[in-house]
Amino acid sequence: MSMLEVKNIYKNFGDLHVLKGVSTNVDKGEVVSIIGVSGSGKSTLLRCMNLLEEPTFGEVWMEGKLLTPVDPYLHFDIIRASKTYKGLIASGMEDMDAIKKIKDEDMLLEKHSQEGPEYKALMQKHFKENHIDTNLARRKMSMVFQQFNLFNNLTVLDNIMLAPVETAKYNKVKDLNAEKAKIREQAMSLLERIGLADKADVYPSKLSGGQKQRIAIVRSLAMNPDVMLFDEPTSALDPEMIGEVLDLMKELAEAGMTMVIVTHEMGFAREVSDRVLFVDEGYIKEEGTPEQVFGNPQNPRLRDFLSKVL
Amino acid sequence: MSLGTILHDMWDIFVTYYIGQNLLVTGVGYTLALSAIAVFFGAILGSLLAIGKMSRFRILRFIITAFVEIMRGTPALLQLYIAYFIVPMVFTFAEMTPFACVAVGLSLNSAAYVSEIIRSGIEAVDKGQTEAARALGLTAKTTMLKIVLPQAIRNILPALGNEFVTIIKETSLASTFFVGELMTTYAVIKGITFNIIPTLMDIGIIYFIMTFTLSKLMGIAEKKMKAGA
Repeated sequence: MSMLEVKNIYKNFGDLHVLKGVSTNVDKGEVVSIIGVSGSGKSTLLRCMNLLEEPTFGEVWMEGKLLTPVDPYLHFDIIRASKTYKGLIASGMEDMDAIKKIKDEDMLLEKHSQEGPEYKALMQKHFKENHIDTNLARRKMSMVFQQFNLFNNLTVLDNIMLAPVETAKYNKVKDLNAEKAKIREQAMSLLERIGLADKADVYPSKLSGGQKQRIAIVRSLAMNPDVMLFDEPTSALDPEMIGEVLDLMKELAEAGMTMVIVTHEMGFAREVSDRVLFVDEGYIKEEGTPEQVFGNPQNPRLRDFLSKVL
Repeated sequence: MSLGTILHDMWDIFVTYYIGQNLLVTGVGYTLALSAIAVFFGAILGSLLAIGKMSRFRILRFIITAFVEIMRGTPALLQLYIAYFIVPMVFTFAEMTPFACVAVGLSLNSAAYVSEIIRSGIEAVDKGQTEAARALGLTAKTTMLKIVLPQAIRNILPALGNEFVTIIKETSLASTFFVGELMTTYAVIKGITFNIIPTLMDIGIIYFIMTFTLSKLMGIAEKKMKAGA
């Protein structure tokens, strides 16, 4: 079972088609880097993984659980149960031709409401069997942002403690005070690990960019996530602060954390990744080990891209 | 009429009527009471409108937008006239004095402006704050209560102070209905002395002292809040 899987993701912003059918999966402990030019859709792909952007079509799965609504086009049994399919078969079409036509011409989503009970029952069955609440999934899949996004109204320690404490409240933990003490202890030990324990009671506005990003990373770690998503974590940093953030990420990768990283740091991607995805014009144009992608690129767009950034 | 006589008459009228007949206390009292009621209910109602405007329900959003636009697009005096005649018809179970009618009118007017202040205060909070909270698995409600609103209030409070000052000035419209606030004292004193200009000057000074004091207090509060973060 994959840790994280995206199946045939499309994302449209109005008439702008940013992702045009992207599929990939991330295994436990794997470090996957996503590279590509600005505007290629790589950040959108990452944001679709935790549903900060809702995919227009396609499904996102995490540890065998479905985060998105069911996409009928990904399930033959649902397509075959539809009136649209039965109509095409009745008009003399072959099974696979009918399915292809329905997919290509997007004949189902528009007419969701007109489909019969069999189709609806199947949709519901798939949903019920597999779906997980987005908030629950996000607690196991934290994200680190380009702009850090530390909570301005909270101290560093409260920034780290907020989500674990609120989660304990959602879970109706009996002895909340004991739980809080435990969370505080973990938060302090995380701060010590990055050498910023003395900043516990400071507000984010008093910190440097590198400090902010390292705290944002341990804020994510405090949730004990199974996967971590990084959205260009060093792009907003001054050059002299990039190293400290990358070092911390490297440490996490070596400790076996599953990570998906959108990055412009090619040297870093080459060093820590198990697999590199090259996203371009809304597709994954090439993927492979760092040696393959950086050492022997096949796609002309990738070669062009690498010649500019390396 | 020389400046000397005007100043002399201003002092004379102030001592005789505002102090001697207690018009200062009643006038300022009614003005402040009316403003406080309008701001208090305006803030409560305005918050509800702002929340409603962020709801999923299209029809609710449309009604609120229409209300806010109408309140902002028509004269406050007209709104008070309408309130003056309609409020007694609606609240038939209680005797609605002109003061109560005007209070309702001003509250509704203030609610429209306050709702816009709150909405823009919330929208001014960086979107990344919400995204970070939601990405950690916090619910929309927790995100609003723990992250967005505390930051929004810092944007909202100064504008809310300005709204209070505006309301104090707008209560003068209530004199049309003779409810006894500061501007009403003009009609009273004019009727006795026929001395218009010094009376108006006196009233202007009293209004200015009220609004100026309030703005200064707001300024101090703002500074304290900034120091707190």
